[in-house]
Amino acid sequence: MDDAAGEEEASMFETSHVLGALLASSPLLARAWDRCTAATAAALGFVHGEEDGGNKVYVGFSGVQAALSAAGAAVAGGGADVFAPVGLGGGDAAAGRMFAPLVAAETDPAAAAGEPVAVQALALQCFLKLCGSPDFQMLLDEIRGKAVVFTGHSLGGAIAALAALHFLCISSSSSPWAPAPPVLCVTFGSPLLGNEALSRAILRERWGGNFCHVVSQHDVVPRLLFCPPDAVPAHIIVGMQLHQWPARTRQTGAVTTVTMRMADTDKDALRQLIQRHVGAVAMEQKLAAPDETTRGSPYRPFGTYVLCSPEGAACVDNATAVVQMLYATFASRSSPSAGSPEAAHSCYGELVLKMPQHLLLKRRLRVDDAPATPNYDDGVSLALEASGIDAMAMEASTARQWLKTSKRAGRRPSLNSARLATQLGRITPCRAQIEWYKALFDAEMGYYDAFKQRRSPRKYSKVNLNRIKLGQFWDRVLTMLDAGQLPHDFHRRAKWVNAARFYQLLVEPLDIADYHHHGHHRTSGSYMTHGRERRYELFDRWWQEKACTGGAGGDVTSSMLAASASSRRRSKYAGLTQDPCFWARVEEAREQTESAQGERDVAELAMKLEELQEFERYFRELVASKEVSVDVLAPQSSYTLWVEEWNQLKLRDEVRTMLLRF
Amino acid sequence: MPTDSAPPSAAASLSEDDRLLVAHCAALTFPSSSPTTAAAAAASSPSASFQVHHASHPYPCAAFAFPPSWSAADWMGGDGGRPPFGDAEVDPALFPSLRAVGSGIPARTNAAFLAAFRRLLDGSTLQSEVSRAVAEEKRVVFTGHSSGGSIATLAAIWFLEKCTRRGSVNQAHPFCVTFGAPLIGDNIFNHAVKREGWSQCILHFLLPLDIVPRIPLTPLASFREEIQAVLDWFSPQTPNNSPAGRSLVIPGYYETLLRSTLSIASYEACSFMGCTSSILGTLTSFIDLSPYRPCGTYHFLTSSEQLIVLTNSDAVLQLLFYCLQLDPQQQLLDAAARSLSAHWQYEPIKECMQDIICVDYLGTISSTVPGRQTDRVAIGSIELSREAILHLSAAAQWEKQRQRNQTKIDESCQKIQEALGSLNEYKRSRELRGVSYYDSFKLQREVHDFDANVRRLELAGLWDEIVEMLRRRELPDGFEAREEWVSLGTLFRRLVEPLDIANYYRHSKNEDTGSYLSKGRPRRYKYTQKWHEQLQRAPVGSSLESCFWAVVEELQAEMADGRAFEDLRDRVVKLENDAHGWYNSGSLGKDVFLGSSSFVAWWRTLPEQHRSASSIAKLVSL
Repeated sequence: MDDAAGEEEASMFETSHVLGALLASSPLLARAWDRCTAATAAALGFVHGEEDGGNKVYVGFSGVQAALSAAGAAVAGGGADVFAPVGLGGGDAAAGRMFAPLVAAETDPAAAAGEPVAVQALALQCFLKLCGSPDFQMLLDEIRGKAVVFTGHSLGGAIAALAALHFLCISSSSSPWAPAPPVLCVTFGSPLLGNEALSRAILRERWGGNFCHVVSQHDVVPRLLFCPPDAVPAHIIVGMQLHQWPARTRQTGAVTTVTMRMADTDKDALRQLIQRHVGAVAMEQKLAAPDETTRGSPYRPFGTYVLCSPEGAACVDNATAVVQMLYATFASRSSPSAGSPEAAHSCYGELVLKMPQHLLLKRRLRVDDAPATPNYDDGVSLALEASGIDAMAMEASTARQWLKTSKRAGRRPSLNSARLATQLGRITPCRAQIEWYKALFDAEMGYYDAFKQRRSPRKYSKVNLNRIKLGQFWDRVLTMLDAGQLPHDFHRRAKWVNAARFYQLLVEPLDIADYHHHGHHRTSGSYMTHGRERRYELFDRWWQEKACTGGAGGDVTSSMLAASASSRRRSKYAGLTQDPCFWARVEEAREQTESAQGERDVAELAMKLEELQEFERYFRELVASKEVSVDVLAPQSSYTLWVEEWNQLKLRDEVRTMLLRF
Repeated sequence: MPTDSAPPSAAASLSEDDRLLVAHCAALTFPSSSPTTAAAAAASSPSASFQVHHASHPYPCAAFAFPPSWSAADWMGGDGGRPPFGDAEVDPALFPSLRAVGSGIPARTNAAFLAAFRRLLDGSTLQSEVSRAVAEEKRVVFTGHSSGGSIATLAAIWFLEKCTRRGSVNQAHPFCVTFGAPLIGDNIFNHAVKREGWSQCILHFLLPLDIVPRIPLTPLASFREEIQAVLDWFSPQTPNNSPAGRSLVIPGYYETLLRSTLSIASYEACSFMGCTSSILGTLTSFIDLSPYRPCGTYHFLTSSEQLIVLTNSDAVLQLLFYCLQLDPQQQLLDAAARSLSAHWQYEPIKECMQDIICVDYLGTISSTVPGRQTDRVAIGSIELSREAILHLSAAAQWEKQRQRNQTKIDESCQKIQEALGSLNEYKRSRELRGVSYYDSFKLQREVHDFDANVRRLELAGLWDEIVEMLRRRELPDGFEAREEWVSLGTLFRRLVEPLDIANYYRHSKNEDTGSYLSKGRPRRYKYTQKWHEQLQRAPVGSSLESCFWAVVEELQAEMADGRAFEDLRDRVVKLENDAHGWYNSGSLGKDVFLGSSSFVAWWRTLPEQHRSASSIAKLVSL
């Protein structure tokens, strides 16, 4: 394993600082920062303006109002509530609607097992208040369809992130399947916003690339919420924000108190507090015990973190690695202490000017006689340097490991999905073989019954082998998906959803046949409730999600499935029966018919007849709309046989009278 | 002429003759009297001008020299709502090969230079002079300094297009020699030039510090005034050419230039270094990055004894930034001054070409053990930083990786041929029974049909992978012009596409999705068709023979729907004429016209009057 990793490393290059250089050398950060300072001075809570000839809109948010509203609580020591996480989907219905796509998955039983999506109370409250204002609604209308940068400093950044999330939510619900609109959120030194569930939901929606959190090396604010809820020094966060406010306006009651108390706080004690808790979170992650709930902070980062020092910037987007890097950069004192915490929190203006200038200069190894190192390690050293970690510092080696982990984690999903695509191509002939087998029996008894009765044993064993091979392939896909080794939107990619659906429609009938051949339905219960493989249930859900978010469009080769066009009438029977459990229902109907035939009890009979009629209605409709394949109507298929049995039954006197009464 | 892209390590070192020619070009571009006379000559005739110089040594040649322009308007055109970088799509009539073959996306180039070149073509004796030189069997050479070099590049490509289209590819390659020319084309431009094998005839000579090649990397439209100031400084007509006359805006502009170059170098480095961060995609919507990339073979003139030769344009782009990276003590003002003055320091080329040593710098970097020692390989007096070395080795490695990918793909050639062989056998055996394999496949009655379907799926898997790799640009630029693959692709398309069409209409996918041609045609066929058309220099869309059955199916369906023959007559006639031509050229098999073919059966239902006059009447009765 280590050898393989080493070989892989030989051909890899570290890019976090290269991406950082791209970001820092562009005018983007400076423009965003200008907007932030303008917002802090504005009364409205936000400002907006266009750049680049009206192509892009920059919207800046201010956190001053948020800080003012929380100042009282912070003084009174109620800071824990102000910065406690509140559920997005739970209590406030309005909030749930505004962030519908993020909380939608919570109705899904599989996902609901985890914690619900939650965000910082203060930021949410301020954002909701802002959202209620007509000015803000007007802004939303105005910027729709444009490339928008949401930005904010400190608490303003957290509000900006919520605004960006809301904007992404409303944009995605108006045009599902379209790529995320060009939205970027740039925060400067903002406190953490949400819990792990939020971080996961953002990854699932593929919005991670829309968030860019600029964090300077010595800034305490982005790291403070790693403290456990009861230990959050709320007055520091509030005070730091208020510090940005022009001094002459700070002279009111609670504000003065906050400022004074902040000034009293011992700098080193604060530093130690943060270091301890960020370190604890970092440690906890390393031990990786997800089911073990600790009393630590619920907050986790999402999106890309830009870890800045005057030397440059390194971009990290793996959430675990971000925590580690937030710790390592803070703990490593590469430069002599960077002045007061207030200065570290308000240094961003200077930083966005300095970084590009430094990047234009040649940097060299500090130690000139360093031994020859592979390219990859050399790159990692540069990334560490850019984020401000001294190569000699204690934290450097762990940070190095985490950058590498992040790199590998970033590469794995796309590599895996490319590999799976090749494998899918390779097993397609197995599928073709089953199709061929199906066509062979279409005119006679249908492939379902042929397989169930094991007709022509050689063909049967071949097809059975293919069935098993395909099943193993798809199980492997699901195992990788569960382990997070595939792209987060894998189950939404048309190619895979369609391939899975085609496989399911073709092969699930064989699984049903096998189940009933062995009589498992008698020993372990009906197929639908007890015999279905997990993969089929999942594929059903993928297909339904796709259907309810609108047609996928695009991928032509896989639009072989006509169900998407169910609104159109088919001119002939579908290639494959569109209900994968069709045959399980037929089996149930046949069993029911059989038992009805021997039923003496009138009430029991009535119940059974009613159910049978329900079956009949369902089947008829499918057949009439040609949603079934021809094999269903084959002369000796189970379905044809059932229709005969049912018609026989209906001819009986007591049945006929009973049916008339319904 | 399409050639297999040369292996990267063999960065061509110049032959004796080439050296003489380069020196000759330099002598033409920088007449010995002083730059002033050259500029004076240019000034006397407006920017749309050139000089021809005939020489007999080392071989008969005609050199066309294009003078630079010192007016910003000639660099970025008017303000007429152009994109910030002044780029526009190339004219497909003038440059038919400058596009991505498979996807058909045209290349982009600097609109002002393109317009200047068009003016030369339409309003000067350029065309006739070039024709005369060709008629006299002289070798044609294009050369120029600064923006004149960019025009020379366009002229060389125009000439290459003409030569290949006329089929006279065997004539000695034209030669293009530029000195300090600004970048002119985007990624696709560069890709197309590489694919056609032209990059070894386009030689750019650069002084590592020269500011001019990088100017197009800044948003031209927003820095019009600054660029004019820079050009004014270059222009020999500005009084004294002295630092005192230099505008105050230049240092500021120089910093912008450095930052823009860094942005683009970092952006490209992210992609060839395998950055997976999802924010990269978002950033491109918010950061305006110049589309221009290096194209051709670059020669960095590091001293009068040493030339660094680079064919890897990713590496060239990195050097464009890292050569300018400042030393910590260096003042921006001094750096800007050095960078500007470098633009007038190409004259020594006239003398030094004979004994200059060509260095394969990238080869040196990527072959030595990674690490410190390579840091000592400096470019002239410029020592490169650690990141520079890393980025250069990554660029070299990416090129090697693409080569390796191609080797891997080449291994599947055998498999493809085997599968095609067995399908050919299938087709033949059906013909022996008097049935078209298309009809037989569509019915899927026999085990042969099933086997053919399995083959079809296997082949689809192999070709889809190739197309995917091309779309992700993971194969060498020359892949789509390699004759063995283009002919294999054509073979595959003609034999297997009918099966895909049969499958499509067998499952009535046209009812769900739309017609095969508009909605259902897989990329593997579109791409291979375009490869063939590009290699044969045939018009786009002229080789649709493999879709014959799709057209037939659509016509049948429409007639079954009750459309009158009269409405469809034109399309039927076109199909018949096409089929006739394809049959004669051997690209359509005779199985189509077999008595029992479903096409013939349908054709017989057409009005007698039409049939008797049809171009295929004779074929059907065969």
